[in-house]
Amino acid sequence: MKFLLSRLASALIVVMGVSALVFLFLYMVPGDPVEVMLGESAQPADREALRRALGLDQPLLTQMGHYYYNLLHLDLGNSLYSQRPISEMLLERMPATVELALASLLVAVLIAFPMGVLAAVRKDTPWDQGAMGLSLVGISVPNFLMGPILILVFSLWLGWFPVSGRDGLISLILPAITLGTAMSSILSRMVRATVLETLNEDYIRTARAKGLSERLVIWRHALRNALLPVITLLGLQLGVLLGGAVITEVVFSWPGLGSLTIESIQRRDYPVVQACVLLISLAYVLVNTLTDLVYGWLDPRVRLEGGR
Amino acid sequence: MEGFALKLSRFTILALLLAVFGITACSKAPDGALRFGLAKAPITLDPRFATDAVSARINRLIYQSLIDFDESYRVIPALAQWQQVSPRHYRFKLRDSATFHDGSPLTAADIKATYDSILDPAINSPHRAGFDMIETIQVVDNNTVDFMLTKPDLLFPGRLVMGIMPAAALKAKQLFNRQPLGSGPFAFDGWPEEGTLHLKRLVDRQRFSFIAVENPTVRVLKLMRGEIDMLQNDIPSEMVTYLEKQEAIQVIKGRGSNFTYLGFNLEDAETGNLKLRQAIAYALDRDTIIRYVMGGAATPASALLPPDHWAGTDLPLYGYDPARARLLLKEAGFTQAKRPHLVYKTSSDPFRIRLATIIQQQLTDIGIDVEMRSYDWGTFYGDIKAGRFQMFSLSWVGIKTPDIFRYAFHSSAVPPEGSNRGRYSDSITDALIEAAEAAPTLEQQAEEYKKVQARLLEQLPYVPLWYEDHIFAARKNISGYTVARDGNYDGLTHVTRH
Repeated sequence: MKFLLSRLASALIVVMGVSALVFLFLYMVPGDPVEVMLGESAQPADREALRRALGLDQPLLTQMGHYYYNLLHLDLGNSLYSQRPISEMLLERMPATVELALASLLVAVLIAFPMGVLAAVRKDTPWDQGAMGLSLVGISVPNFLMGPILILVFSLWLGWFPVSGRDGLISLILPAITLGTAMSSILSRMVRATVLETLNEDYIRTARAKGLSERLVIWRHALRNALLPVITLLGLQLGVLLGGAVITEVVFSWPGLGSLTIESIQRRDYPVVQACVLLISLAYVLVNTLTDLVYGWLDPRVRLEGGR
Repeated sequence: MEGFALKLSRFTILALLLAVFGITACSKAPDGALRFGLAKAPITLDPRFATDAVSARINRLIYQSLIDFDESYRVIPALAQWQQVSPRHYRFKLRDSATFHDGSPLTAADIKATYDSILDPAINSPHRAGFDMIETIQVVDNNTVDFMLTKPDLLFPGRLVMGIMPAAALKAKQLFNRQPLGSGPFAFDGWPEEGTLHLKRLVDRQRFSFIAVENPTVRVLKLMRGEIDMLQNDIPSEMVTYLEKQEAIQVIKGRGSNFTYLGFNLEDAETGNLKLRQAIAYALDRDTIIRYVMGGAATPASALLPPDHWAGTDLPLYGYDPARARLLLKEAGFTQAKRPHLVYKTSSDPFRIRLATIIQQQLTDIGIDVEMRSYDWGTFYGDIKAGRFQMFSLSWVGIKTPDIFRYAFHSSAVPPEGSNRGRYSDSITDALIEAAEAAPTLEQQAEEYKKVQARLLEQLPYVPLWYEDHIFAARKNISGYTVARDGNYDGLTHVTRH
C-alpha cells in the first residue's frame, strides 16, 4: 500500500508539474489567440473585450490560479474557437486514440515476440540477421512514408482496406500496422536481447539437463523471465501512443487526440492544448504507474526497494 | 511468478484484442450520401462566430442571407430586396415567404434579432466590427426592416452577408454550433465527430457527408478509390495533373478571385526603396511559376480586385524582364559587391514554402540575396501584423467590396487599426481612397477605385502575383456542379450522382 501511495503521489506531482510548464510555455509562445480568432478587421475595443471575456487580460499567476481552481472542480472550460466544452471534445477523441493505441500494441506484440525469440534462438544465423534487418527497416521507414505506401498497396491496388477515416474495425488495420511495425522493431530487439541473456542463466541449463524439449525451455522458461523488461517498454510505448500518434492520425484522418493537439496549437486554442497535454501526461503517468505496479507485483525486489 | 508472467502475456494479447474489437466505433456516411472531401473540418456552424473559410462555405448552405453577389461581385437580392431611403437609411423587404428548417416562417424580427445579436458586445462576435456603422435596426412590419446608419455607406447592402437565424432560438440561447437552424437549401443532419458532418438537401432529401481529410495525397487517394465522391481545392498542382489523367475522375477548373501577393515593409531601409520593389516585380517570372508550379491554375494579377470586378480595372502586368530588374537594382544603389539581403517570411504551408523557394531563386538570379524563414501560422501572422518582416507572401481570400483599399493601404489602417501591414503611407493614395468613399454613386466609386489601383501598381506596396483558380475534382458519375468564383460550395445545390 505504501508503495502504491508513493507511486500515485509522484504521478500527481508529475501531472501538475507538466501542466504548469505547458501553461508557461503557451504564455511565452508568439501568437495571440484573440488575433487569430478575430482577424485584422476587429476593432481594438472588440479585441480587448474578447481578451477580457477569455480572461487573457489577467496576470499569468491569476490565469494559472483560475486554471487550477477549475481543474480541481473538474472543469476544463470551453474551446476558444468552437466554444464547445473541452471535456466533450476530449471524450469524442479519446476512443479513437485508445483504440489505435491498443491495436498498434497488439500488432507490435504479435510481430515482435516471435521475431525476437527467433533471432535469439537462431543467433548469428541468417534467421537472426534477417529478423534484425527487418526490424532495422521498420525503425528506419518513417510513418509518413509507411502510411501512404500501405494505402497505395492495400487500399488502392488491392482494394482490401479503406484509404482513411474511422469506418469500423477494417479501417483500423492499416494505421495499426503503420504504428505497430515501427514499435515492433524496437520491441523485437529488446525481446532478442533479454531472451539471449536469459538463455545463459543457470536455470535454463538445469531445464535442459532435465531433458525438457527446447520448445518448452524457450517458451516456458526463457521467455517468461525475459518478459519483465519488455513489459516496461510496452508500458512506455502505450503511454506514448495514448498521447496520440500525430503523423499517423493525419495520414489516416484518424480523429484522435494527437491531431486535436496539433490543430489547437496552430489555432492558439490554449485551453484545448492545455487539456490535451494534461490528458496525455495523465495517460502516460497512469500507464507507467500501472507498469511499475505490475512490475512490483511480478518482482518482489522492486516492491521492497520502492517501499523503503 | 513465471506462471503468472505467461498468463499475463496471454491476458495482455486477449485484452488488447477484446478492447480493440469492443471500442471500434463507426463514423460511416449514411447510405447513398454524396461525400465531399475537405482539407479541414468546419470550426463552427454558428455564422456569428465563423471566421474560417470552410465554416463560412458550409454555413452558406444552411443559412440564407439578405443579399448575395453576382459574378462581377455586384450586390444582388437574396432573401430581401432593398432601397436606400436616404444616405443613412436602408430598407430591406423580404422577397418570398422563406421558412426555417423547423417550419417556422422567417420574418423581419429574425433579421433584427440576428444583427442585434452580432452587435451585442456580450456575444463577442468577431464580425461585430464589420457592422459598427449600424445605429439602429427597426422592424417596420413582418416583412420589412430598416437599418439606420451612423454615416452614409454606399457599400452597406454588400456587408449583410450574415446568415439569418431564428429570433426565438437566439433568445433561447440555442447552441447553433451544434444545432444549426437556418433557412438555406441544406438542413443539418448530424455531426457525429469533428471530421464528419452530415447535411440533407431539402429539395430531394439527398444526404451529404463532409469528410475532413487533412493530408492532400490521402484525400486524392480516397477520391480515386471512391471513398469520397468529390473534393474542391487544397491539393497540390501535381496531384491535379495526376487526377486529370485518371479515367474515373473529372477535373473542373474555375477562375478564382483570391489574390496572392508579395508584401513589403515600407519602413525598412531596403524594401522601402521603390526601385528595389520594382526590380523584384520585373525579376519574377510569374508565367513560368503558374505553368510549372501551379499547373496553369492561376491568372497573373496586376491589382487586388480582378479586372471583371465592378470596381476592378485592367492594368498592365509587370512582365518578366531580368535585364530591367538588374538596371533598377543598380539605380537603387546596389552593386555586385553590395547586394541587397532580404528576409522573406512565409507560413509553414508546403505550397507557400515551395513558392518562396522559387521566388528566392529568381531574385538571386538578378542579384538579390533572399533568406527564407517559415513559421507556423500563429507566429507568422503575429510577425506580419507587428511589422517584423521585410518581405512576405500572403493571399487575400473572399474579397468582394472595394473598401479593402482603405483597410489595406490607407495610412490610418496600420495594425491594429486595419491591415496596412507594410506601413504604407502615401498621401496621394490616401486622398484617392477618401475621394472614392465620398463618391455619390457606385459607378463614380468604381472610377475612383480604379485610380487607387493604378497608384498602388505604381508605388508597389505589394507586388501582385496572381488569382488562384478553384479546382473541383469528382468521380465521373457526379454531375451538375459549378465552381463559384469565391470557392463557395453552392454548386452542391444541383449536384447529382448517376
